[in-house]
Amino acid sequence: MNRALLLGAALALGTAAAGAAHAQDVIRVGAPLPITGPLSPEAKKQQRGYDLWAETVNKRGGVKVGAKRMKVEIVYVDYQSNTPRAVQAAEKLITQDKVDFLFSPFGSGATKAASSVSEKYQVPTVAATASSAQVYDQGYKYLFGTFTPNDTLTEPLADIVGREAAGVRRVAILARNDLFPLAIAQEMEKSAKKRGLNVVYFEKYAIGTLDHASALSQIKSMSPHWIFATGYTNDLILLRKQMADQRIEAPVVTMIAAPAYQDWIDGTGKLSQNVTSAAWWHPAVRYKGKDVFGTTENYVKLFRAAYGALPDYAEASASAAGAMLQLAIEKAGSIDRTKVRDALSAMNEMTFWGPVKFGPNGQITSLEPPVFQIQNGKPTVIHPKAIRQGELQLGVSN
Amino acid sequence: MKRDASIALVLFALVALLPLSGEAYWMRLGTTMLMYGVLAMSWNFIGGMAGYPSFAVAAFFGLGAYAGAVAQKFGVPMGFAWVGAGLLALVFAALLGVALLRLRGHYFAIASLVVAEVLRELVNSMTGLTGGGMGLNLPIPAMASVDAQARFFFYVMLLLAAVTFTAMLITANSKLGFGLRCIQQNESAADMLGVDTTFYKVSAFMLSGVFVGVAGAVYASWVYYIEPPDVFDVLYSVKAIVMVLLGGAGSMFGPLVGAAAFLSLEELVWRNYLEVHTGVLGLMIVLLVLFLPKGLISLSQRLGRRGKLR
Repeated sequence: MNRALLLGAALALGTAAAGAAHAQDVIRVGAPLPITGPLSPEAKKQQRGYDLWAETVNKRGGVKVGAKRMKVEIVYVDYQSNTPRAVQAAEKLITQDKVDFLFSPFGSGATKAASSVSEKYQVPTVAATASSAQVYDQGYKYLFGTFTPNDTLTEPLADIVGREAAGVRRVAILARNDLFPLAIAQEMEKSAKKRGLNVVYFEKYAIGTLDHASALSQIKSMSPHWIFATGYTNDLILLRKQMADQRIEAPVVTMIAAPAYQDWIDGTGKLSQNVTSAAWWHPAVRYKGKDVFGTTENYVKLFRAAYGALPDYAEASASAAGAMLQLAIEKAGSIDRTKVRDALSAMNEMTFWGPVKFGPNGQITSLEPPVFQIQNGKPTVIHPKAIRQGELQLGVSN
Repeated sequence: MKRDASIALVLFALVALLPLSGEAYWMRLGTTMLMYGVLAMSWNFIGGMAGYPSFAVAAFFGLGAYAGAVAQKFGVPMGFAWVGAGLLALVFAALLGVALLRLRGHYFAIASLVVAEVLRELVNSMTGLTGGGMGLNLPIPAMASVDAQARFFFYVMLLLAAVTFTAMLITANSKLGFGLRCIQQNESAADMLGVDTTFYKVSAFMLSGVFVGVAGAVYASWVYYIEPPDVFDVLYSVKAIVMVLLGGAGSMFGPLVGAAAFLSLEELVWRNYLEVHTGVLGLMIVLLVLFLPKGLISLSQRLGRRGKLR
């Protein structure tokens, strides 16, 4: 009886293994994502971004390749939030699923690890979530990234604060002990020290921390002028509320990355007033793109219609990665990998994401990440000049 | 013992031919399979032979990975860093063993499970040395091509698996192995009859740590980017146990067969079920363990018996 059972299980697997047919008029893009495991919420976002791009393109008849139009299909593989599996997934997508192009796995680390595979097979790869400069320093020719280096977020922030808040001298930094939040905090420390500011406090908190009281009372005792905290939505809602509990006030409070999300603004209510932040993109920016989405407003509208929420920079970056790939294919007039690679490398276009031009290492150079401030419950862009909507307001109180 | 050794020799020689396929993807799977094999065989020392349900594999693996990575960060050549990582895991296992092996059964299992968590938090907080939550980048081995790199790590893992197997074979046929089997059957009785149980258990624990430590360090060099949740993943402990159970606990070839079977199942399920693959994999393992409690290795004996009856 047990043999029959095993046989049945094996049969069931066998039928499922019969792969999907490879259609001719379809551009297949592979996307290894951490669909299960600790990074799964991020994968959902990437998926929403990619899907929106594919749907929008397909609704309009597909990508224009020379004289014909080709539909887009995204092939997802789960890499279980595990970096070596991400590399394996990339290799599988290229060699077994025969995808034409690739989107990188999530985050700087996995992107870097997987980029060696796409380079080996010479598959143009767009990374939607890799900001660290170290990802792009390997001299690879087939990797392109939509995020500028981390210091392009902290440098303009430090500039603006230095210019408009003369009394700011003491800086306190509290970071979530996690890849991006900690890296950006370290960049902030550098940016602050470079300008002669005094970093009086630098600590990190563990992922999942619920009680920030002891860190906050230490910060309070230093009476900093500028409090810089990093983390995701839940972390920073808690942190902001606990700051209010301890009656901590400062001329400038910056939080990355939570204020880019509407959830954070809703969760903190009035306490969000005058908190500054920076991100690679924000739904409040206004660009008139030549890509499939056109203007930023139109992208936000499409996204709302599809998912009933505002897109954040991670979701928009995934869509932008698709849009950039499409522009390159249309320019090359073919899906030949080398031609598309050359078109990406030579790209100089405006998109809903911002101006797109890649440096020699493949990382985007043209993008000026917006600095914004929550004013009366609304994110207001205060930098760069071209899309500015308001001035920096000083004073974060309870 | 001779028979086992010659079977193993043929087996390893066959696996060594894999690079001839020229498929990079197969090389990757092969390297992973050998790594799983090392983890499973290592667990067999303490879990299979002595009957102590250790969950410390993840701790040794992460420790080795970080030891190797940090050593290389300070300029230690790759090979020395790997050996050093193994030695560190050996010493760590000895110290840990003296403390933990006083516990038995569930208590030991839980205590060994926590070790990986503690180490992970330590590594997380030592940002200066380990990069904390940002992870750690390793130098990319200076090798001609990506293919050469893949081959190199495949053969290193193969060598490590062969060494681990040899150690297991020698142990099983030595006084140590005999003592461990006595402990598994009845520890108090063994103690009374003059088996130095503490010494034997700690030795087994050390053997179960050292090769995993090296595997962790090799793994770190292979993927050249590690972060605490990746290498201190409790799944490494669980997988090692599942592989041994799948193959056949306490047997010579059980861990290797289990590693190969587990990887094949994992790959098959992962390919075909995007969202529910972990669930399907779990279900298949439950079925296998339920219907083949002595592991896949017992299948051949069973079939053989049936043939004779006819």
